[in-house]
Amino acid sequence: MASGRDVRDMLGLPADADIPKTAIQKRPKPAAPGKKIQGVAREVAALYGERPPPVAVYEEKKTYRAKRQSTGPAKKWIQQPFLNPARNDGLVLKHWKRKPTAAQPALTNGEDAAMEDVENAPPAIETNYDFAKFNIPIDGPIFTDEEYDAHLRTNDWSREETDYLLDMVKEYYYRWAVIWDRYEYTPSTKQEPPSQENFHGDPNHALASLPFAPPKSRSVEDLKARFYEISAKLMKLRIPEVQMDAEQYARYEILTKFDPHLERNRKNLAAALMNRSMDEVKEEEFLLTELQRINMAATRLDAEREELRSRLEAPIPNQQIAAGLASFQSSQALASLFQQLFQQDRSKKRASGSASGPGRLSLSGADIIGTPTSAAAHQHSGGQMSSHANASRRQSMATNAQPPTPIRQLSPQTEHRFNVSTHDRLTSGVSFGADKLLKMRQAKSNVQTQKIATALAELGVPEVIPIPTSKVGEVFESLISKVGKLLDVRKVREKEEGECRILEAMKERRASENQGGEGEAGHSREGHGERGGDGDVNMGDGGSTTPATTAQREVQDSEERDGDDDDDDDDADMDADADGDEDDVDADGEADDNGDVDAEGEEDDDEDAEGEEFDSRAPSQSQSARHTSEAVSARAVSQGHKRSASVFSQTSNKSTKRARK
Amino acid sequence: MNMANATTAPNTNEYAGDEVSAIVLDPGYSTTRAGFAGEDVPKSVCPSFYGQSDSDAGPQYSFGENAIHDPRANLEIRNPWGSDGIVEDWETATKIWEYSITSRLTGARPGNPAKNGLNDAHGDAMDVDMEALESLEKPLEESPLLMTEPGWNPQKAREKYIEIAMEEWGTPAFYLQKTGVLAAFASGKASGIVIDVGAAMTSVTPVLDGMVLKKGVQKSPLAGNFVSNQIRMIFKQAQPEIPLTPHFKVASKTQVDAGAPAQATYKKFDYSPTDSFGRHEEERVLTEFKESVVEVWPGPGRFSNGTNEEIAKSQPGRPFEMPDGWNQVFGVERFRAAEALFDASGALTDPENPRPKDEHTIPRLVQAAIQQVDTDQRPLLLQNIVVTGGSTLLYKFNDRLAYEINAIYPSTRNKLIAPGSAVERKYASWIGGSILASLGTFHQLWISKKEYEEHGVNIVEKRCK
Repeated sequence: MASGRDVRDMLGLPADADIPKTAIQKRPKPAAPGKKIQGVAREVAALYGERPPPVAVYEEKKTYRAKRQSTGPAKKWIQQPFLNPARNDGLVLKHWKRKPTAAQPALTNGEDAAMEDVENAPPAIETNYDFAKFNIPIDGPIFTDEEYDAHLRTNDWSREETDYLLDMVKEYYYRWAVIWDRYEYTPSTKQEPPSQENFHGDPNHALASLPFAPPKSRSVEDLKARFYEISAKLMKLRIPEVQMDAEQYARYEILTKFDPHLERNRKNLAAALMNRSMDEVKEEEFLLTELQRINMAATRLDAEREELRSRLEAPIPNQQIAAGLASFQSSQALASLFQQLFQQDRSKKRASGSASGPGRLSLSGADIIGTPTSAAAHQHSGGQMSSHANASRRQSMATNAQPPTPIRQLSPQTEHRFNVSTHDRLTSGVSFGADKLLKMRQAKSNVQTQKIATALAELGVPEVIPIPTSKVGEVFESLISKVGKLLDVRKVREKEEGECRILEAMKERRASENQGGEGEAGHSREGHGERGGDGDVNMGDGGSTTPATTAQREVQDSEERDGDDDDDDDDADMDADADGDEDDVDADGEADDNGDVDAEGEEDDDEDAEGEEFDSRAPSQSQSARHTSEAVSARAVSQGHKRSASVFSQTSNKSTKRARK
Repeated sequence: MNMANATTAPNTNEYAGDEVSAIVLDPGYSTTRAGFAGEDVPKSVCPSFYGQSDSDAGPQYSFGENAIHDPRANLEIRNPWGSDGIVEDWETATKIWEYSITSRLTGARPGNPAKNGLNDAHGDAMDVDMEALESLEKPLEESPLLMTEPGWNPQKAREKYIEIAMEEWGTPAFYLQKTGVLAAFASGKASGIVIDVGAAMTSVTPVLDGMVLKKGVQKSPLAGNFVSNQIRMIFKQAQPEIPLTPHFKVASKTQVDAGAPAQATYKKFDYSPTDSFGRHEEERVLTEFKESVVEVWPGPGRFSNGTNEEIAKSQPGRPFEMPDGWNQVFGVERFRAAEALFDASGALTDPENPRPKDEHTIPRLVQAAIQQVDTDQRPLLLQNIVVTGGSTLLYKFNDRLAYEINAIYPSTRNKLIAPGSAVERKYASWIGGSILASLGTFHQLWISKKEYEEHGVNIVEKRCK
């Protein structure tokens, strides 16, 4: 109500009027909520209850055409004569017009007879005809005789025909198809004297000059060419080229560039296109539909791919970065960006001791931008930073500087995809991945380095790896470590093989010596195999040969036995290892170098089997052997050696095991 | 309030019309159409045939629908038109046209009541005003006249037109326009190719921006009358021969079985009606036959193409009953009558009616017409193929025409424009004339009486292009 009063106040209405009205207005208010629904029967409306109907119900109101209003007596129409200004012969036609009513009131006072006279009097002729404005004449090129002689004369066209052409163009309003259709120029009978002089009795020309000569048939292009030529020349005469404005020059260009031959060829092509046979048309249609189908399929495929891509949870490109990426082109901008990121990192570190992964992410994001320029900027900013560090830090502390760049938690897949890595600590400065790889290639000794190089060469790893990304670096590192282990294993194997060879040679020598004396004992046990034989022979040695042939031989024997013992130890180790290793090997199923290791493992297994055989026989033999003092003493002597050997073999075993893994 | 209806004037700016009570006269071989410009149908449609009965007192002419169908002695039915679509008998043609205008449109002129003598008490005053009366007798003293002409009308005929209009009818203004252009206007097209199949002539007229392309105008005699002749031949060649009895001979008929001889009582005449009358009456029956039985083979392919006849045979026939009660169901024959319009080899021939020329068939006419048009305009014309003329009302005519044209021009967008209503199809050129003569902008084109007097009959050649 207050607002109503205000309005009234503004409108300058009496405030009192407001009081009785409110009293009246109060009455209908309670009825207002129960607004009657129109277009529905009362019973149906009652079913709705208090709520409005679920759909809007509109009653189509019956509409009647508005009553014809009688606007006084019927208006009079007269046949008004008119003169058409577009005509010059003064033809007067009559058309129906409303009788002008303005003059009537003045006349009503007069006598009836006078009025009749007025009505009977012929109405004044109307001179401004509405439709005359549509009579638009066109303007064509106009030239004087001098201009024609100076510029427009050609052999092909006579002056008369040129005039005829221009008349036709005007007559048919530049409709060339019609002009050509109606073009029936017949040379006038009276010939111009100069043209006759040119004939020199040529019968063709003479014939052409005769009145009954057939008119030259001219194509649309000929007509156009002539007309445009005239137009262009006259245009140039009237306005020199330099003074033409853009529009005029464009028109001039069009006029001068008309080429009737080109036009004729075009028309021939168009006609050929139109006269194609049904088959050709069908083929084209077929191709077109095919094209359409392909296009549709392509667009559908694109849409599907787009959808798939959006479903694959591609990270929505950070709009700030995306927008800002362009602005990071300059080194200065990059420097400031780095500084900003650096500040963030710093402040975060200080705020909470343990900076979380994502916090680092922003830094690695800067690494991603790592182009040479950015790297330079990086270094540059590094220099700058030292000087500005304090100031900027203070600034950031004071103003709580820039808002932290939004950090997205990335899924492992996406992290992998975008090559995002997290580091506990970063070394300062810039390092090249290639340098890192090169470092890995180098071992402590030159020989080792060379060996590694040859191993890598065998594997086909190039010296310079094209794109030394961090991931490549990781893989390379693991490869190098494996190569190192392999080389270790190979070294051990070679050593052992060397020992075996020496022992073999010794055995052969000894066998050839023993063959005369104690052949049976040795021979009866020969069948067990080489190494078993070795042991037997040794035992035989220890048991049968009471006097030691030479001290040297004793020592060698014991050494040999030690070696066997070592083997035992090794084998005991190997048993456990081999099982696990085999499993590992199966499970791993790795590359070539591992396969080599497998083979070696199998060799070891063979050794195991033999060792076991040896073990089973060992007690009796050792018992028989024990009473030989030399042997015992020899064993005691060889303890240290044995230990060292076993230790070595253990380590080597461990190394092979590691290598396998 | 401003709803367009009969009582309110249309908005001038909307339809650009300005009616000067011009009369449009569209004479044709079969009928002569006349009416006021601005109306949608011709008020007066008279047959172009006239009756002439020669007696001692000179020839007596009878015009109009009622007069020429009345069997009277010595009544010869004639037509002023030549078979090539050009008026031959100018004298009677003028009379017929005048009749078509005065009988319905202008009426007998009352003249000035003060001077025409009807109000005079004394008879002696009559002689005084005879001259004035005579000058008022000219029927078109007040109305400009727009006449139509075929596209191939020679200059002499055109000059005769304006001479008749100016000298004999005393029209204040005259204009001559070609039927093709007007038919295109009636369909609302300024450009197009007009296929007009009338009674005597079939014509194909390329029209560009309201102007006939003269070189492209094609005509052929394969039209309505030709189809009638074909039907006559079908009747003659049928076994047994189908009797063709016109209405006027039959007094009463009784129902008979199909193909059974008619049982009718015939009228007895004291005199024998002339052959021309009988033939004209027969034509009426044939017209009826054309309207109700004849069908154009709609394609694809020609009717004579192997299997098409078999297909046609399997279609149900159409019954027709002659005025004398003879009746039959017409099967495959009904396709033969109009086939020659499209395929000359499909025509029935006998010694009197030789095989029509191939180049006279409608598809060939269209092709020839299009060939004479500038290449750039051809697709435009083919997009606006206006079909007009009474004979195009033959059943399935448009289907066949569309098929034939698409076969010739498969690569363009060919569109037939054929008004659905029979009136619009039959009177298209008149309707176009009615539109043209009621346009406000047209009034500057009239050849006025003054111009005619200055330049003579030549002016029609200069002005009506």
